[in-house]
Amino acid sequence: MSAAAAASTAGYLARRAAQKERVRILYRRALKDTLNWAVHRHLFYRDASDLRERFEANKHVEDLDTIDRMIADAEASYNKWRHPDPYIVPWAPGGSKFTRNPTPPTGIEIIYDYGREDND
Amino acid sequence: MAMRAAILRYIRLPARAQTLAAPRSREWTLLGGSSASRSMSSHGDDHLTKEEVVERVLSVVKSFPKVDPATVTPDVHFQNDLGLDSLDTVEIVMALEEEFKLEIPDLEADKIDSCHLAIEYIHNHPMAS
Repeated sequence: MSAAAAASTAGYLARRAAQKERVRILYRRALKDTLNWAVHRHLFYRDASDLRERFEANKHVEDLDTIDRMIADAEASYNKWRHPDPYIVPWAPGGSKFTRNPTPPTGIEIIYDYGREDND
Repeated sequence: MAMRAAILRYIRLPARAQTLAAPRSREWTLLGGSSASRSMSSHGDDHLTKEEVVERVLSVVKSFPKVDPATVTPDVHFQNDLGLDSLDTVEIVMALEEEFKLEIPDLEADKIDSCHLAIEYIHNHPMAS
């Protein structure tokens, strides 16, 4: 397909936009994973800049199929390297405080009689 | 056994006698409907004011190494005004998540493109702290 025709069709742009979104979400997850693996901040900065270099190296690829294949490979390697015990904010699903103290349902009233019998 | 029951009766508060009479319920509704049942809970009580959110968001954006601090305003767009990349936007959103102890879902985080959106999202988030 010629570059001029392919460059401006709506389908091409939609596909590029979808790929860009996948790349952004992948970069976000990979960055969080890097932080999970490299707990100490100075190591994280080093690994994060390495990750950024890897993303930047493939920045100028134009062919849609190559981009798709690279994104699929990158997602596969991300799934391979996922941390088994990631840090999740406590109140979020998967965190330690999630549903720990749910709000009690309204309309329920507890009479605290401490097991007092009717005969007492 | 009777001694024990007598002692317990003395010690125990007569809870059954204190039913939810009219004065008690009026007292509780004075606190407001939302805090009536959990007034002593410390869950989500550090609601941030808009100015605090703006200040902290701007400080995070200004401390980003690729950003010129003088051009940062509460209405600035990361890619158009500050000349950042989409990956830089992702990094800024992650820094904001760490600053406010939030967990933003991936699709929501993808849409945060400018300071204005970030401030609005964080201000309306119930768990921002």
